[in-house]
Amino acid sequence: MDILQYAWLIPLLPVLGFIIIGFFGGRMKEGGAPVAIIAAASACVLSIWVGIEILLRDLATPDEAFVMQTTWLQLTDDLTIEFGIYLDNLTAMMLIFVSILIFLIFVYSIGYMHEEGARKRRYYAEVCLFATGMFGLVVASNYLEMFIFWEIMGLCSYLLIGFWNHRPSAASAAKKAFLVTRVGDVMLMTGIIILFIEFGDLNYTHLFDRAIVDPSMGTLPWDNLQIAMLLIFGGAIGKSAQFPLHDWLPDAMEGPTTVSALIHAATMVKGGVYLVARSFPLYVQVPDVLLVIAIIGGVTAIFAASMALNNMNIKRVLAYSTISQLAYMMLALGAGGYAFYYLGYADGYSASTFHMFNHAFFKALLFLCAGSVIHAVGTEDMRKMGGLSRKMKVTSIAMLVAALSISGIPPFSGFWSKDEVLASVWNAAEANSMFYLLWALGAITAFMTAFYMFRLWFMTFAGEEGEACKHAHESPASMAGPLVVLAVFAFSSGFALFIGDGFLSRIFFGHAHDITSMELLGEIFTDWKTYLSVGLAVAGIVLAYYMYVKRSVNVDNVITSPGGAKVYKTLQQRYYFPQAFDGIGLKVIYPVAKVVDYFDKNGIDGIVNGVSGSITGFGRRLSKAQTGNVHNYAAVVIAGLSVILILAYLVGGL
Amino acid sequence: MIPIEYFLGFAAILFVIGAYGVMTAKNGIVVLMSVEIMLNAANMNFITFSSFFNDSRGQAFALISMAIAAAEVAVGLAILLNLYKSRGTTDIDEVNIMRW
Amino acid sequence: MFDYWLTMLILFPMLGAILAFMMGSRTNWARAIAVAFSAIPLVITLFLFTQFNMGGGMQFEEQYVWISTALGDKAFTIYWSLGVDGLSLPMVLLTTLVTFIAVVFSWDVSKRGSQYFALLLAMNAGVMGVFMSMDYFLFYIFWEFTLIPMFFLIAIWGGPRKAYSSIKFFIYTHVASLAMLLSIFALFFEASTGNFLMKDIAQVAPNIAKDLQLMIFAGLFIGFAVKMPVVPFHTWLPDAHVEAPTAGSVLLAAVMLKMGAYGLIRIALPNLPVAALEFQMFMFAIAAISIVYATFACLAQTDLKKMVAFSSVGHMGFVMLGIATLTPLGLTAASFQMFAHGLITAVLFMACGVIQHSAGTREIPLLGGLAQKMPNLSAFMMIGFMASLGLPSLVGFVSEFATFLATYQAFGMLVWVVLISVPLTAAYHLWAMQRSIFGPLTDKIDTSHLYDVHWYEAAALGTMCLLLLVFGVFPGLIWDYFSPYANELADLISSFASCMGVI
Repeated sequence: MDILQYAWLIPLLPVLGFIIIGFFGGRMKEGGAPVAIIAAASACVLSIWVGIEILLRDLATPDEAFVMQTTWLQLTDDLTIEFGIYLDNLTAMMLIFVSILIFLIFVYSIGYMHEEGARKRRYYAEVCLFATGMFGLVVASNYLEMFIFWEIMGLCSYLLIGFWNHRPSAASAAKKAFLVTRVGDVMLMTGIIILFIEFGDLNYTHLFDRAIVDPSMGTLPWDNLQIAMLLIFGGAIGKSAQFPLHDWLPDAMEGPTTVSALIHAATMVKGGVYLVARSFPLYVQVPDVLLVIAIIGGVTAIFAASMALNNMNIKRVLAYSTISQLAYMMLALGAGGYAFYYLGYADGYSASTFHMFNHAFFKALLFLCAGSVIHAVGTEDMRKMGGLSRKMKVTSIAMLVAALSISGIPPFSGFWSKDEVLASVWNAAEANSMFYLLWALGAITAFMTAFYMFRLWFMTFAGEEGEACKHAHESPASMAGPLVVLAVFAFSSGFALFIGDGFLSRIFFGHAHDITSMELLGEIFTDWKTYLSVGLAVAGIVLAYYMYVKRSVNVDNVITSPGGAKVYKTLQQRYYFPQAFDGIGLKVIYPVAKVVDYFDKNGIDGIVNGVSGSITGFGRRLSKAQTGNVHNYAAVVIAGLSVILILAYLVGGL
Repeated sequence: MIPIEYFLGFAAILFVIGAYGVMTAKNGIVVLMSVEIMLNAANMNFITFSSFFNDSRGQAFALISMAIAAAEVAVGLAILLNLYKSRGTTDIDEVNIMRW
Repeated sequence: MFDYWLTMLILFPMLGAILAFMMGSRTNWARAIAVAFSAIPLVITLFLFTQFNMGGGMQFEEQYVWISTALGDKAFTIYWSLGVDGLSLPMVLLTTLVTFIAVVFSWDVSKRGSQYFALLLAMNAGVMGVFMSMDYFLFYIFWEFTLIPMFFLIAIWGGPRKAYSSIKFFIYTHVASLAMLLSIFALFFEASTGNFLMKDIAQVAPNIAKDLQLMIFAGLFIGFAVKMPVVPFHTWLPDAHVEAPTAGSVLLAAVMLKMGAYGLIRIALPNLPVAALEFQMFMFAIAAISIVYATFACLAQTDLKKMVAFSSVGHMGFVMLGIATLTPLGLTAASFQMFAHGLITAVLFMACGVIQHSAGTREIPLLGGLAQKMPNLSAFMMIGFMASLGLPSLVGFVSEFATFLATYQAFGMLVWVVLISVPLTAAYHLWAMQRSIFGPLTDKIDTSHLYDVHWYEAAALGTMCLLLLVFGVFPGLIWDYFSPYANELADLISSFASCMGVI
């Protein structure tokens, strides 16, 4: 039995869960949670099985994907949309971490969502549907299929951000998330349309074959490809919350923390990165677009990190951190592709996907720990927390692991991938010195990341007991369990680099690093840049320690100085992006709509009513001729008769 | 033999007198009588042409038109009688409720 | 083999209408009759689907001489001629289905129930006639006949401005129909076939001189564009919808608007290909304006139902856009969009109807937090709204995507003009939901009597929502019926395009 033939079951299992919970969840225990967990568990087993099967294939043909398709819609005689599965090493990696996270977070939800009552049914139904979307996105075999699942995820994101939709802020955040990503989706859809018309096919196999195999490269309509790939990246910007469409993600924290962990940290927001990675064979044909990707990545990384520096909401800090880390992945992809085009190797591709893999674990862990804290203290404001490490041992240690990991302290997982990311950017600078600047941005971001992450940890777990922490206690086993498991992953997922012949030799583009684990270790630890980035991270941690634990570094006078206050406020106001979005909506689009409405009522309908009014008015005036006086009628009859007779005489010669 | 122009001229004069009466008279009964005169002018023409062209259909028409005139007067007088009963007048200028 | 299926499809609702009308004050009887006599055509239609030979052209044809007379020295004949092909069969299904749903939804209509049901059934018969007529004279008669039940539905069961709206609806569409009638006569005389049969006239009409084609096309276009409607001929629609009772709105938007688009595809394009090519950019412009204009207008509406009505204008703009491409893909997409919009808009109007009944108002600023008291309605409404804004896996996406695809294929980057509307469409739908069903429960109206959907409302809404999903996941079920006709039509037009190029 070849398990790969049954990979299409992976997205199907959660949808079964969705249907069962949707109809019968109300009558089940915990609103159908067992069904959701069974669905997630079976999908997880199948995913890992499929993933390992793929990864362990004979590496003679690493680019070869397992494809199985059936016709979905015959649009015209020569345009066909297929549905099917496309499994290669990237898919396998995605399947593995996505399924593990979905399963763990579902388990965690039992404890976290326990008090939600009847709403639990909706929650579990929607997360099941989300799992369908995510698995579908990963295994999809063509762009349109991918887009369909992409949008299903978007819908679930909308529904789950608005889970407490009776709160105006949640309803508003949900709308914002949907609309902002929708802007990206329109670009993505247009890109897909251009690809479809220009290449006559949307299947990955077909498109990639044409892009890779065709050595002349002259047969592809390159201008259109460039536009299409740029537009597809537009979709990725929206989904992965990159500048300038990043602003929905912090607001998305209005949803339950499990949702933030699952959708807005570990899986869905990776969709954009996955999309670019998936389309890499096409991207490497258009280096200018890759440069744009790298620049957006570099700018977003530092931009988002800066907003995390002074935020007081524990979840929002993590949200900015997510944006910043996703930007790292984009940066690496852009750099890798650019290097591939000009230099012939794409180490950024492996670095990016590797970072995505690690980030999924430690960021999900960070969110779940934050959820555990929020569950215990009932607030998201870090100023009301503090000293929790005594009461919540498991949570605090798990979060410390995650924070060390994201900060890039060896040997935690984040170190390995972050180092690879920065190295790949540095390498790309050989082709374009712009990448030196981007590398510098990435390095500064590493410092900022370590700082705000430990600021968060210290404010929450260290120091004096906060006002909201009186009755705090460790979370139940269903929550703590996943934390422990994830902490193990967050610590160790970086060692994937050394298992067997390692991550880089399995998930790569072009050719793999042809080196052994030991050589790789040597390469990493003989490079001054490694020490620089670790040093920056340690500096960030130390600074946070002195600011928030020892309190020996006091920045109050900087913050209260006129310039400092302005910067502080700008960061707090998120560079005024929310105001800008509101402004576009309320001050530009809505007034235009009002004008259109006015024009409709008074312009177009005015003409319609005017025509009918003038006709009835004319009739009313003409009716005055009906005097009711018989003499008038007789006079008119005779006058008319006379006129006719005279005319007949003159004209007809009567 | 009297030329045909005399008959036709006589009929025309009768018709004009009738038309003048219809247009000027205030009393409804006078209007009805004027209408009768106009009808008789038409009958005159029928009979004239019947006689000159030796075609008896004209005379038949004249008879039909007389019968219709009688019926018309009956209806007209009935209307006027009712009008007089309800309004106390036969002055048709005062009866104009059928206007716009 | 029984040969009278299509006549049965018209006769059954007509008979039902008469019977229901005769029930007088016995509303329960009238309702039972209405359910039965709207279910029978639905069953017949589904049966016809099983017998239908896909891509086999006109089928189940019936043709009887109806009126045979002479005009001057020319004899001419009017036939009772019916037939369905891949284009009309799905439309017939839509009509029977939506009528049945509307009847079920109107379960407890209290005012003059028997007449209400009778009019719904009469409407059904008329629209079926339009979709199945293969004779222009018959087509026109049914076309005009549909006005009558709709006029009374609005004028008797309508809202506060029902007199204004019903008369506006009637006169506006009727005047436009006269322009269409003139064009039909012109076709008849130019073709000089001695009958009004569509297939006979279509043999000759494409060769009519270009100038004359343009004039005939203009007349037909006015008739169909008003019915669809597209900007700037749309203003009767929001008024009619706002005042119409829910079932009336459902039939009006889901079925009656389709007559206009159907007419363009069935009559204007195949008979006048040269004019269609000349009008191509004009149609594109009208479509683009409709879509963008309606989207902005939706954003400004405060009446939920008026917003939905304007969204219909936008969606019919997509149909026009698909038609304007004159390609197989575009024409199929336009046909599919007609079908999709019929399903979607029925859900939207029924949801508005439930809110109207339950909350007593449809003013968005007065609503809020309805999801807390009406969770089922909110779910249905959300599915409808999501389908309307083009969410993949629901039926609206397929037609939207295909239309954009066809637009890019035919007009290149001009597709951007239309694409602006996509986020804005999402915006007004989500904004309306945010203000009406989310947030804290409103205190501006008395919420103590709010009720969630009744069983018959749930049945009607649930069925339609399920179909939105079914046809969204398996669009091929309907798409494959449309494409043969669209291919044939596009081939015809492109053959004339090459001729024009040569000359």
